[in-house]
Amino acid sequence: MSQREGSLEEPKAESSISLLPHLEAKIRQTHSLARLLTKYAEQLLQEYVQHQGEPFGLPGFSPPRLPVAGLSAPAPGHAGLPVPERLRLDAAALAALPVLLDGVRRRQAELNPRAPRLLRRLEEAARQARALGAAVETVLAALGASAHGSQGSPTEAATAAAPAPAPGGFSAKVLGLHVCGLYGEWVSRTEGDLGQLVSGAPA
Amino acid sequence: MMSIYLFWRQPSQMVDRKRMRTSNFRWLLSKFVLLYLMVQVTGALRDLKCTTNNLKVWDCSWKAGFESVIDEVCVEDRSYSCHQVEKTNIKIPALPPGDHIMTAKSSHSPANSLSKFILNEKNVSFIPDTPEILNFSADFPTSTLFLEWNDKGSAFPYHVNVTWEIKILRTERRELIKLETYNTNLSGKDRVHQWSWASDLPLECATHYVSIRCYIDYLHFSGHKEWSDWSQMKKIPWSPNSQTKVFPQDKVVLVGSDIIFCCISQSKVLVAQIGSTLCPLIHLDEKNVAIKIRNISVSENSGTNVIFTTDDNVYGTVIFAGYPPDIPQKLNCETHDLKEIVCTWNPGRPTGLVGPRNTNYTLFESFSKKYVTFKRAETFTNESYQLFFQILPDQEIYNFTLHAQNPLGKSESAQLVNIMERVSPHTPTSLKVKDINSTAVILSWHLPGNFAQINLLCQIEINKANSKQELQNATIKGVKNADYLIDVNKLNPYTKYTFRIRCSAETFWKWSKWSNEKQHLTKEAIPSKGPDIWREWSSDGRNLVIYWKPLSISDANGKILSYNVSCSSHEETQFLSEVLDPQHKAELPLSKRDCIISVVAKNSAGSSPPSKIPTIEIPNDDLKVEEVVGIGKKILLSWHHNPNMTCDYVIKWCNSSRSEHCLMDWKKVSSNSTETIIESDQFRSGIRYHFFLYGCRNQGYQLLRSIIGYIEELAPIVAPNFTVEDTSSDSILVKWEDIPVEELRGFLRGYLFYFQKGEKDTSKMRGLEPGRSDIKIKNITDISQKTLRIADLQGKTSYRLVLQAYTDGGVGPKKSMFVVTKENSVGLIIAILIPVAVAVIVGVVTSILCYRKREWIKETFYPDIPNPENCKALQFQKSVCEGSNALKTLEMNPCTPNNVEVLETRAAPKIEDTEIISPVAERPEEGCNTEPENHVVVSYCPPIIEEEIPNPVVDEAGGTSQVIYIDVQSMYQPQAKPEEEQDIDPVVGPGYKPQMRLPINSTLEETAAEDDIDKTAGYRPQANVNTWNLVSPDSPRSTDSNSEVVSFGSPCSINSRQFLIPPKDEDSPKSNGAGWSFTNFFQNKPND
Repeated sequence: MSQREGSLEEPKAESSISLLPHLEAKIRQTHSLARLLTKYAEQLLQEYVQHQGEPFGLPGFSPPRLPVAGLSAPAPGHAGLPVPERLRLDAAALAALPVLLDGVRRRQAELNPRAPRLLRRLEEAARQARALGAAVETVLAALGASAHGSQGSPTEAATAAAPAPAPGGFSAKVLGLHVCGLYGEWVSRTEGDLGQLVSGAPA
Repeated sequence: MMSIYLFWRQPSQMVDRKRMRTSNFRWLLSKFVLLYLMVQVTGALRDLKCTTNNLKVWDCSWKAGFESVIDEVCVEDRSYSCHQVEKTNIKIPALPPGDHIMTAKSSHSPANSLSKFILNEKNVSFIPDTPEILNFSADFPTSTLFLEWNDKGSAFPYHVNVTWEIKILRTERRELIKLETYNTNLSGKDRVHQWSWASDLPLECATHYVSIRCYIDYLHFSGHKEWSDWSQMKKIPWSPNSQTKVFPQDKVVLVGSDIIFCCISQSKVLVAQIGSTLCPLIHLDEKNVAIKIRNISVSENSGTNVIFTTDDNVYGTVIFAGYPPDIPQKLNCETHDLKEIVCTWNPGRPTGLVGPRNTNYTLFESFSKKYVTFKRAETFTNESYQLFFQILPDQEIYNFTLHAQNPLGKSESAQLVNIMERVSPHTPTSLKVKDINSTAVILSWHLPGNFAQINLLCQIEINKANSKQELQNATIKGVKNADYLIDVNKLNPYTKYTFRIRCSAETFWKWSKWSNEKQHLTKEAIPSKGPDIWREWSSDGRNLVIYWKPLSISDANGKILSYNVSCSSHEETQFLSEVLDPQHKAELPLSKRDCIISVVAKNSAGSSPPSKIPTIEIPNDDLKVEEVVGIGKKILLSWHHNPNMTCDYVIKWCNSSRSEHCLMDWKKVSSNSTETIIESDQFRSGIRYHFFLYGCRNQGYQLLRSIIGYIEELAPIVAPNFTVEDTSSDSILVKWEDIPVEELRGFLRGYLFYFQKGEKDTSKMRGLEPGRSDIKIKNITDISQKTLRIADLQGKTSYRLVLQAYTDGGVGPKKSMFVVTKENSVGLIIAILIPVAVAVIVGVVTSILCYRKREWIKETFYPDIPNPENCKALQFQKSVCEGSNALKTLEMNPCTPNNVEVLETRAAPKIEDTEIISPVAERPEEGCNTEPENHVVVSYCPPIIEEEIPNPVVDEAGGTSQVIYIDVQSMYQPQAKPEEEQDIDPVVGPGYKPQMRLPINSTLEETAAEDDIDKTAGYRPQANVNTWNLVSPDSPRSTDSNSEVVSFGSPCSINSRQFLIPPKDEDSPKSNGAGWSFTNFFQNKPND
């Protein structure tokens, strides 16, 4: 939280750039989408935990943070990066998430075939992540920044360190939990990054 | 040693086998010989031991002796053979059963000795070769070990039973966890045997070892058979995966079973749990641990999580506990269209397993060897499953087997069906109806399916309003995907029908579902009969009114459009009128009174047969009006059979209370009937109906009976109006009117008349409960009676009269009236005159008597009173009582008369008291000071009386102008003195106290008795002193100042009589009016 608050200064300086009205609208729209998806991501995580059985969901249970193939959590130094760079990272993560979410949905279809709401939420989350990623890339393009070529992409780091054996049921549950958590983190992070652009624009 | 042992065992065995062949003597002899030889052998071959591993060659070995070295050994069997010995053993071919002499030659012994001994198979041990394990492998997912070895059966050309013993050891400590025996046969060839064993502990959790040995049980070998040596141990080669730490992974187990989980970890496991339940740790090698879950319960869909927590991580696995598939229940295979077979079943008990672990179903047909697989559906309920199997050409018999399988097991259910007998057609569609005529239609419908090979049995449901449902079955030749037609007959014309249809195969298996309903109105037909008609002549007799009833739907056969009315006689038929349908009567002027009226009904299909009725009405003079009451909303009418009635009987009825023309309805009855029941929805209870029974004779109707009646009688709704016609001092004549028929509501059965004393608005008059003695009731059952005289009444008395009518339906409301009888004047006069006459007579007699006895009366009751003026003590002036303002003080100077003037000699005894000496005389000056003349206070002296009156008013009286009678005042102090004291002290007693008593009070109070006081009190104007104070203020005594009685006391007491009135005191007998007064005589006391 403190990192986010501390990073408010820089975007304000950047937001001195006069944003075009349609760009502002796009940013606001994307920000609203990110905020909505943040709420959905929380609901998805709750729904997911609810169907994994005990001790998932019990207080005090913290499964190991397994490395997720193709994606890593937002880096601690993420807040210190320039906003376009942050959005670039967000877009990359959001582009990687649909595949991961689809994989989780497939495993959950085997483990919880009679949980249609969870499966539907996972399917929708993949679609929504893809849509948000595309929207962020649109904003980046409008800002004149390229969506590719960023250093330290979360997807590259994850791919380099990911052995991907077919996990057992428990590992699949833990992996799915992490993917859902990553989805929430990246969507929330995107919302924050877009929020700084929005706060720089006139209300 | 073994040799010796065997040697000594042989006799016993020989005894068993050759007991019957060898005599005891010979047996003893041979023993001696053998003993000798044995001694020799022991000297040459120490510890001789013979073994065999293949039953073909014996390997005999011994220990070398110190004295000699064996060079050659010869065996004497069928052929004598010698074998050179190089070491201390020799291999010889297996010898046949029995004793064989063995000779050992030693060339190095000093004596060049020759030793002989007996060699027998019984002395040989059979020890098989150590088995060799060909392969030892493991299936980790199932934790199963597989072992393979060769039995080397080719070494044994016989059929030999072999027992294998396999042992499994676990962990580096090589703990024995399984020892199993496995039996096989040797068949003369080498065979490889497999053995498997499932470990409860996952094989990944610890190293497992195996070893094997065998025991060959060759029955024809009489020697000693022993186990082989254990084979060399083999272990499962396995290197744990770096990722997987917990075993087993994603295993499916049976609910209720026990299962072991282990965790392979480099760090110490702290906690293990299944779900949220902690489990005790079982330590394996190094830091590996295991937990054992007993009686595991069914898992939720995503499985049961098993978690191992180490210092730095959490490892886990998922276990799926469920059930094997239940036997498919209610397997049923049938066809709807003879194109495909649908097999349905119920899966039975849920397995608790979902997803890839769910049950797979395969439907296999054994004749065609074809099968279909059930596509997995995640159903939430235990609903029926189904599979479709295409019907094969030229195959009618199908043998289906439904296989169910999941990771925990499999089950199956089978059914053999002739599909031609299992046809349950689809629901018929496109049902249509087409008219043939007014009573027949054609039904058509579509039935999908290939039914060309069979006949269909179809059922048609025919529904008609207000009618019983009808079912018709029809057999139809089946066709392929076509429409079907069928005729439906015997319908009613112009009737709305509802059709629906269902079908099955002629070889009935199941009905299809009912098709949708189809409504249809059949065509019209001519009316089946004419309307029911009746005729009435109008009141003026000129017109004939013809009535007819509308035809029933079943008779009308269509919509009736009109009615044609005609009149026919012998000469001609005259058309009278055509009446359109809603009208069901016609009023026509008839020129001829004798004709036959004919009415026909017409619809679009034609005219009905005519209904005829004669117009003539035969008169009947002998007619009485009868009464009838219905039973259960029906009227039963009966009559005697009349052979003259040739046509029929007609009963018509109407509401008799209505003034309109009397026809409500009619009913025709055949001529041979003698009774009928009339019922109508129009009948109402309490309404009077008039019934007329007509008989038909000679083409004319005659009124036979006239009957009035009620369906049900009710109580009248009004009371009869009644008036009082005449009233006398002891009787009342009442007259009442009839109740109108419509308000009577039944046949009048009588009146109830109540009367009782009472006045209007008296509450107790309201009720007329039976049984009350003061109410008199008269039940008037003669309904023709309209008056009633009530006699024996009291004069000038108010009576309440109540009248109500009643029928069999109940008693009607009441009407009441109050009447006062006249006064009886003669009696009153007599009652007045008699007392007056008596009083006059008594008065006259009394007057006469008084006149004649006047002297005696005067002396007795009114003696002459002495004139007080003659008393010098009382110096009254003449004007003392004349109201003068210069009123002199009544001075009561104490005086003692010196003499008494006697006015009447007869009163002399009373004047004797004057001789009593007054105490006042002894104190002449005390308290009697002269007062001024104007002083108005009457002071009673002597002062002793004043001392007895503690009333302070006395002291103050000197300053007032009122006259205060202190004595009288003092008597109103009853509380101050007890009664006894009042009785004793006459001074404070009531009434006037003449002055003569005063000195007596003070002088004789100690000695005089109460009775004596009265006697000595001097003159008493009245005999009873007590009556003085009993007089009320209103009494004439008190008010009449002119009376003699009032003259007692002061002449001025009239001005202050209010002081003489005692306050009302209930306790005082004086205030209770104990004294008699004339006023009381007239008072109406409550207690009188």
